Amino acid sequence: MAESKTTDPAATEAGEEKDWTATKAFFDSLKTNQPRPPKPQYAVTIAVSSRSLFNMVAEGKIYKEDGVEKYVAYQQEHDNEPLMPGVAFPLVEALMNVNAGLRRLYPDSDELFDIVLMTNNHAQVGVRLINSINHYGSWSTLSAILQCYLTIERFCMTGGESPIGYLKAYMTNLYLSKDGEQVIEAIEEGIAAATTFASGDVENQLSDTQLKVAFDGDAVLFSESAIIVKQHSLDTFFEHETEFENKPRAQGPVKCFLEALGMLQRKFYAKNERMTCPIRTYLVTSRSAASSGVRVLKTLRSWGLEIDEALFLAGAPKGPLLQKIQPHIFFDDQMFHIEGAKELGTIAAHVPYGIGQKYHKGIFTEQPAKDTT
Amino acid sequence: MDSMVRNPDVKQRDAAQAVVVAVSSDAIFTPEVEQVHGATEPLRKGDAFSFMKAIQVVNERLLTLNSDETLLFDVILLSNDSEEKHSRIIASAKHYGLDIGRFCFCNKEDSIESLQSNNVKLFLSTDTNDVCKALQKGVPAALLYHQTDPHHQTEDQLKVVFSGDVIGSSEEMLHGLREQGFTETQLQGFKTAKGSVKEFAILMGEMRRRFGLEGSPLCTGLMTAWSSRDVCASALKTLRGWGLLVDEAFCLAGAPRSPILNLVRPHIICLDGLYHMEGFTAMS
Repeated sequence: MAESKTTDPAATEAGEEKDWTATKAFFDSLKTNQPRPPKPQYAVTIAVSSRSLFNMVAEGKIYKEDGVEKYVAYQQEHDNEPLMPGVAFPLVEALMNVNAGLRRLYPDSDELFDIVLMTNNHAQVGVRLINSINHYGSWSTLSAILQCYLTIERFCMTGGESPIGYLKAYMTNLYLSKDGEQVIEAIEEGIAAATTFASGDVENQLSDTQLKVAFDGDAVLFSESAIIVKQHSLDTFFEHETEFENKPRAQGPVKCFLEALGMLQRKFYAKNERMTCPIRTYLVTSRSAASSGVRVLKTLRSWGLEIDEALFLAGAPKGPLLQKIQPHIFFDDQMFHIEGAKELGTIAAHVPYGIGQKYHKGIFTEQPAKDTT
Repeated sequence: MDSMVRNPDVKQRDAAQAVVVAVSSDAIFTPEVEQVHGATEPLRKGDAFSFMKAIQVVNERLLTLNSDETLLFDVILLSNDSEEKHSRIIASAKHYGLDIGRFCFCNKEDSIESLQSNNVKLFLSTDTNDVCKALQKGVPAALLYHQTDPHHQTEDQLKVVFSGDVIGSSEEMLHGLREQGFTETQLQGFKTAKGSVKEFAILMGEMRRRFGLEGSPLCTGLMTAWSSRDVCASALKTLRGWGLLVDEAFCLAGAPRSPILNLVRPHIICLDGLYHMEGFTAMS
């Protein structure tokens, strides 16, 4: 009998093309005009955990108190009850809005956002998760004219095993989860990742026409300078910065995501839609413009990155400023800033990278940050 | 005509109650490049080896839970080899301590008939074409997944993955396949395949229920390669309706499947007839 062809790379590629052709044919044949998901190789793939996409606090309690069997049984019993949106939900909606704009301008391009539901949940919970996605996919807070579907067509439910190994297989560019340990694992695998934190009951009015993403400078985009400050002193830091003014900083883990956003922004600019571009990026840093601002801006320029607004707070708290910006997500490496952001209703995500996460309120802690809700 | 040899070293199962699985000998033992006359050393391990070890673990666990259990795997080794190789095959099975109940020696042309007459619940092969041919003839069949790195295949848990694109598709969607150039024969073949998969899924569901959610020696999964999330949800519900509550689910919607399958590491993939389209155009 003939050997299976799965180890032959040429045959694998041919098989992949067949799958892709079948996928296009399938989605084209659907009467709902549901857009097909983009080809992963060209897309900006964001993997979200089920708990960050949906609010599963009550269910989580059942899991903790009554165990996995009762938890799965509960979910099955409530299959048809849609879950409430979670902390990453507004971000996902905003990404869909950007996709709608990109599809309008570039109907044949696969350079789009792609959302993958990446969870260690049991597959039986999947039915409720898919039903919930359908519930929100059929109507939206966005204009009905846009006919925006929640295009979450790909998912990975590992039935209890860690999903981190699958991030690469699904070509993930950014992973969002409530589990700090899994986020650390992802970053160690070289995948940009952040731990999402609920902003509590504070009302926020996020834009439904523009995706806003805010980043902290140190340890998020730039990796080694935070170490200098923490381990030595501020003076050493400033000396370091001036000495290395013309040397670009090392890349932090979320830099690639900013790059991807820039790439998509340029697609709008190319079609003369700069003023109405549905993506806006913000750099929100504690540093002052005078001391380290030059190096930051030079680094960004050398990376070919355009950030729309760079805000140097010179020590002032980030919370009030973020409250004004109302980003769909704000990345920071220090829990102190995450908490400040949360208090005033900002959706914040902790990037546990570098020396920043080992300190909390000046005390060396070593525990990964976790949203225990 | 086939010749059936019982393995004296293995306790015979109640074939009416057991999950009778036929595995091709080329999958259990790697076919030799050159036949050496009179060779006696054991044959080399083939692709199905870790599968064989894994079902042994499942059987042992089932018997631990209930020593009178009859829903066990019962393996028939199916060989189209020349007569001089027969004793070597039997000796190799003994050498590795494989849980093979019976050896079935027959000609290639008679294989399908042998499978049908022995009430085989599943035929396993590494060849997609052989699997699809069997499915279309109404013989339940699945693909032995070829691991690029056999050392990574687990032997202490059996992993069975079901392909869900056809299981989860509505009649209307399957109708649309006609427009993509599939013939009536092929379409009927998919229906037959779906029926065969159902039977095996019911058995796997029953077996899976013997164990709890955690620590089970049998792990079941669902994968859809090119359809939407709704088809995957529909497949999950269909399998649930057949009594199979899968542990894992993967919806690819066109994403490359090799990197994902290499992580899922199934031992067998139960095709629903539409694994690779090119396999079908060659068969019409």
